[in-house]
Amino acid sequence: MNVLVSKSDDYALVSVEGRVDTTNAGELEKSLLEVIEGGSTKIILDCSGLNYISSSGLRVFLVIQKKMMTSKGQFRLCSLQPGIKEIFDISGFSSIFKVFPDKEAAIKG
Amino acid sequence: MHKNKTLNIDNQISNLEQVAAFLEELGEEWELSVSQVLSLNLVLEEALSNIILYGFEDNNQHSIEINFKMEGDQLTVSLIDDGQPYDPTLKDDPDTTLSAEERPVGGLGIFLIKKIMDNVEYERKSNKNFLVLTKNMK
Repeated sequence: MNVLVSKSDDYALVSVEGRVDTTNAGELEKSLLEVIEGGSTKIILDCSGLNYISSSGLRVFLVIQKKMMTSKGQFRLCSLQPGIKEIFDISGFSSIFKVFPDKEAAIKG
Repeated sequence: MHKNKTLNIDNQISNLEQVAAFLEELGEEWELSVSQVLSLNLVLEEALSNIILYGFEDNNQHSIEINFKMEGDQLTVSLIDDGQPYDPTLKDDPDTTLSAEERPVGGLGIFLIKKIMDNVEYERKSNKNFLVLTKNMK
């Protein structure tokens, strides 16, 4: 798994690549919490390079979503691969996250 | 046509990487699609992480056996461990219609296994847990 963070004036863009599983979900959580603690109120998670996620990864997504909602921030996902989208649909996550087809759409909102 | 393959791993979370690599090879040999291999990987990660993280009260090394069998289009994956008795089929499904605020964190693993596989059966025999998962791969 690789996590890349870039920040602009309006938002933080976090790109997650590879596999998010039981062995490394904690690292993703730590990276995202650091972005929140750094004061970002709008986080865009680019999932174009994410090709595998297990329940440990889904747990992190939900934890971050809850945190951002509590602080009235925005957490947007974009570019889910079909396999990941399927897991989101099964889990009911498609209706609890704002999912955009691509980065540009997620930035615009 | 009959095909069989077995993998044994110790009860360490880091061994999930070994499982992923094994499934890649199995997928090539048995001509499974990339998405089928990823789904199987997910199912096994969920089942094995439950066994490894919650199945053993001692700190000893335990071996977990994973058998793969393909009969025609029917794939059967059996997981055998000597941990605490645990029947995942008895676990209630999460309510997937809840909002983000209401949704409890966690509890999705077994649900994903049930949704991805066609059938999930559990049996306790000779002090061991047998979890048998089947799916038509056609």
